[in-house]
Amino acid sequence: MNDKINFRTCIKELLKYVKPYRFKLSIALLMVVVANLTFAINPLMEGKITTQLSEDAMDMARGVSGAHVHFDAIFRIIVILVILYLIKTVSQLLTSIFLTDAIQQTMHDIRNALQKKIQRLPVKYFDDHAFGDLLSTVTNDVDTLSNALQQTLTRVFAAILTFVFVITMMLYVNVWMTLIALMIIPLSILVTRFFVRRSQKLFDAQQKAVGDLNGTITELYGRFNEIVLFNKQKDSIRQFKEVNENMARSAFQAQFVSSLISPFVSLITYLTIGTIAVVGCIFVINGTITLGNLQAFIRYVWQINDPLSQVSQLSAQVQSAFSAMSRIFTLLNAQEEVRRGNTSVDTQNIKGKVTFEHVQFGYEDELLMHDVNFQVEPGQMVAIVGPTGAGKTTLMNLLLRFYDVKGGSIKIDGIDIRDMDREDLRRLFSLVLQDTWLFNGSIFDNIRYGRLDARKDEVVDAAKMANVHHYIRTLSHGYNSMINEEANNISQGEKQLLTIARAIIKDPRILVLDEATSSVDTRLERMLQEAMQKVMAGRTSFVIAHRLSTIRSADLILVVNNGDIIEQGTHEELLAKKGAYEKLYHSQFANRNFD
Amino acid sequence: MKLILHYLKRYKGLLVLNIIAIFGFALVELGIPTIVSDMIDKGVMNQDTDYLIRMGLLIALIAVIGVCGTILLGFCCAKISSSVTRDIRGDVFAKVQTLSHHEMNQFGVPSLITRTNNDAFQIMMFLNVILRTALLTPVMVIISFTLTIRASLELSLIIVATVPIIIAGVLIVGKISGPISDRQQKSLDSINRIFRENLTGIRVIRSFNNDAYESRRFDKENTNFMKQSKNLFKLMSATEPVFFFLMNIAALCIYVTASVMINDQTLQVGKLVAFMDYLFHAMLSVMLFCMVFMMYPRANISAKRIMAVLDTQPGITNPQHSRLPANTQEHSIVFENVDFVYPDGDEAVLKNISFSAKSGETVAFIGSTGSGKSTLIHLIPRFYDAVSGKILIDGQDITSMDIYKLREKIGFVPQKANLFSGSIADNIRFGKPDAAMDEIIHAAKVAQAYDFIMEKPHGFDEHIVEGATNVSGGQKQRLSIARALVRKPQIYIYDDSFSALDFKTDAALRKALKTEVGSAIVLIVAQRVSTIMDADKIVVLNEGKIAGMGTHRELLKSCPIYYEIAASQLSEEEMQYE
Repeated sequence: MNDKINFRTCIKELLKYVKPYRFKLSIALLMVVVANLTFAINPLMEGKITTQLSEDAMDMARGVSGAHVHFDAIFRIIVILVILYLIKTVSQLLTSIFLTDAIQQTMHDIRNALQKKIQRLPVKYFDDHAFGDLLSTVTNDVDTLSNALQQTLTRVFAAILTFVFVITMMLYVNVWMTLIALMIIPLSILVTRFFVRRSQKLFDAQQKAVGDLNGTITELYGRFNEIVLFNKQKDSIRQFKEVNENMARSAFQAQFVSSLISPFVSLITYLTIGTIAVVGCIFVINGTITLGNLQAFIRYVWQINDPLSQVSQLSAQVQSAFSAMSRIFTLLNAQEEVRRGNTSVDTQNIKGKVTFEHVQFGYEDELLMHDVNFQVEPGQMVAIVGPTGAGKTTLMNLLLRFYDVKGGSIKIDGIDIRDMDREDLRRLFSLVLQDTWLFNGSIFDNIRYGRLDARKDEVVDAAKMANVHHYIRTLSHGYNSMINEEANNISQGEKQLLTIARAIIKDPRILVLDEATSSVDTRLERMLQEAMQKVMAGRTSFVIAHRLSTIRSADLILVVNNGDIIEQGTHEELLAKKGAYEKLYHSQFANRNFD
Repeated sequence: MKLILHYLKRYKGLLVLNIIAIFGFALVELGIPTIVSDMIDKGVMNQDTDYLIRMGLLIALIAVIGVCGTILLGFCCAKISSSVTRDIRGDVFAKVQTLSHHEMNQFGVPSLITRTNNDAFQIMMFLNVILRTALLTPVMVIISFTLTIRASLELSLIIVATVPIIIAGVLIVGKISGPISDRQQKSLDSINRIFRENLTGIRVIRSFNNDAYESRRFDKENTNFMKQSKNLFKLMSATEPVFFFLMNIAALCIYVTASVMINDQTLQVGKLVAFMDYLFHAMLSVMLFCMVFMMYPRANISAKRIMAVLDTQPGITNPQHSRLPANTQEHSIVFENVDFVYPDGDEAVLKNISFSAKSGETVAFIGSTGSGKSTLIHLIPRFYDAVSGKILIDGQDITSMDIYKLREKIGFVPQKANLFSGSIADNIRFGKPDAAMDEIIHAAKVAQAYDFIMEKPHGFDEHIVEGATNVSGGQKQRLSIARALVRKPQIYIYDDSFSALDFKTDAALRKALKTEVGSAIVLIVAQRVSTIMDADKIVVLNEGKIAGMGTHRELLKSCPIYYEIAASQLSEEEMQYE
């Protein structure tokens, strides 16, 4: 992701998604304040019991007559404490309920937004970004953000509140002791910064080691066949050992150095507590403060220590949440394809005449296609031939506007496709690709995917026309059979037939077929061919052709090489030309001996 | 747990240090309250300032000792957990290298990657918690309970009463959260699946204008995931407040009891203060220990997944007493009545396969998908073993040969060519580590790869990136052919290796290969009749059985299945060829 966005934009974007749940979130945060307030008062109230008891005990020790523990006073304090405990617990529970609701709803919305975004990005985006990265954004990054908000948000907020409240309470108890106690803060920050700065580098190194490890494992496991065939087991173990050692070393260093923060911060705390205990006891002897307040004060020092020793952990979480957020919002802010056109088209009345006029195109800056011209009349069948990687699919990508031309224009019934709404344009087409995409759902749903409002009998008709009805009937659940996750419970050929049925049910004006032959057996191949023939009848169709019969019967053959169309015409015309087509024809279809 | 203990054994010394360090830590956490209590009882009550200062210095001393303990603890934890994880990873990886194809497919590559990386990482996290907290808890609990009992036996009883409640609570929460967590995980998998479908089907979805449909489908699962997450998070975050509430109430009970005791003059105030602090620390460590319980299920799943790999018995192993065929110039490969069933399948994939090939011959296999042709050739390098029948190379049963020597004889070009990150030359050299540069160039030329390699900016030094996305499918196949060629093997096996090539390159390649093989045997699996029609022998497979065997011409006459395949691919002139 090249154009990274900064922290402020991230927060601003996040707030947009949080906004609908601001009410719940504010309640949650308010409850955090309440809980922390009671949390801060508690030690003081508990201290009051000690004070009361110690005074009574002193009196008793001094033998004051009638001295006894003032149970009524203690009981009053205890009642107050029970109420405080209840308030604290209830407000904590409310925090968790409202916070969880607000955050999980927000995450739900962000995930939905990401899914919708994927549908709107130009196809080119997916050439530049790996699927794995995009997937990881939807799952891992959103998860990281969710965890960070769920845990870190309240903890950071609570830590700040703790500071404020506790310091206030400390000041209330005794100013001098507070000044001593506050020494903890700058010292701890210094110590933490010292170690964080060092550990940050080590964590980066660890992250890199994890990446190396993952890359090595992925490669070596993924190439298992090769390793076995070429007897490379020992080499690969050696290679792995190296990255594994490196991983262990950097994990150790990162962990050890970051684990140093806590003891040193604690040391400062312990020493402060020692000092305060001495000073405090002297103050108690002087009568400056009560014993209970001393006890409470020491508890406060422990309370301050807690968030301080967590600073490094929190900052790591905030860091990773931020980088997750930046990936999420970079994706969400990516440029979308323009959907609206400036002419409204009545898709019902389109005849299906297709014209390419001086079309120029290249995936990158460099032009691949320099000047492509051809015209197809409604109902004609066009065969596109050429060697692998010549640009056959590119032509189709342009026709469906998965990519925009760099020059010239593509017209359907004389209308430039860039002037049409994308939805209107795509309503005209059905696409049957070699890479058969089906989703994890029933066969019925997969066929109906072509037209979502199709009736049951229409689905069956389409299946019949695609020669796949009988096959479906042989399955134990018929049309309700599920296509599993890897879509490997039905064969490639049958999948292809299903995609044809899906294309048929849409009843498109223009058909684009990538004729798949390589992985289909003979029986199915014949069925496929029949099905294709039926569906092409009466429609303008483009076939990326591998089969001789298709090419021969085409109204127009486009010979593609290195991106450009080098020849066009019918089979006979092109053979007569004795050019590239003739050569291709002979090398491909007219088999000669090797020598 | 067994897994972790097994690996921990190697680090006994560090483990002992770890426990010593924990005592150091316990010393401060509990020592400071004790001293403070003494300061109150003796120093304040007797108004003895000297004593207070002495005690203050003692606190400083203990603090330093404690910090040393904590640093040592950090060192041991980091060292042990990173070393154990390294050992586990290393063993898992080495184990995977010994697995056969069957076990590999059963686990699946993505799953093995997660097991080696993420699951081991989970173990590391868990180990860290154990070494820090789980070991600390018993120490803290024992010491602080001893101290509380010493301070006051009666008050201790109240604490003892709360412990079972807390443990029960944790167990219940664990029990409830387990299934929710499972459901949440499943739902997350579904989200992943739909999103992946959205990515792979991007063109189809757009061509059908079905983005709204996809969004609905996604939203349904997303909402489900949200519900599960809400339940889980609410449950988890409710635990802590409730726990502390119980603790607070217990503390109040102690205050009440203590008041009575102080009134009876059986308890000193300083003792009470200390007692409350012990309680605080003991409870906190119990709470931390509970976290271990909550983490345990997750770590346990990871441990089980790792154990599953480590405990797998490889189905195919090297024979103990291997024999090798005599070194001859003439080679042969013979299948004798070979039957094969996949280890987890019920139906035979290959039935009674017999054929032979000798030096210089090309044998081709053709048949529809599922006819067993790829399976057949996978038996030769022993990806799988035949269920019955024999495969002989140079007269020697392959199961009695040294498996590495066997594979050395074979130049196998798989259907899906995989390259490694590294230079093009390195990738070809993969076939023969000591290959000289001119051997590599020669192999590349024969494989029709030389031209495109020279077109790359760095030629043979061009770096193949991870996933080999900077070479096309056809280029990959040609490099993988070069990689096999450079070995000069005695058997070449092409598993549908020409499918990504256009017909022209295919023809040129086959012509060049012809001159290269010499006395070797060539086995080809193909989809295209044109690729194999010149073979010395064509084996037609249908549903695992040999449906015909002979030359192209013979088969056109004698084998209807072959005729059918040929008719769908060849022009009429060619069908009339004979």
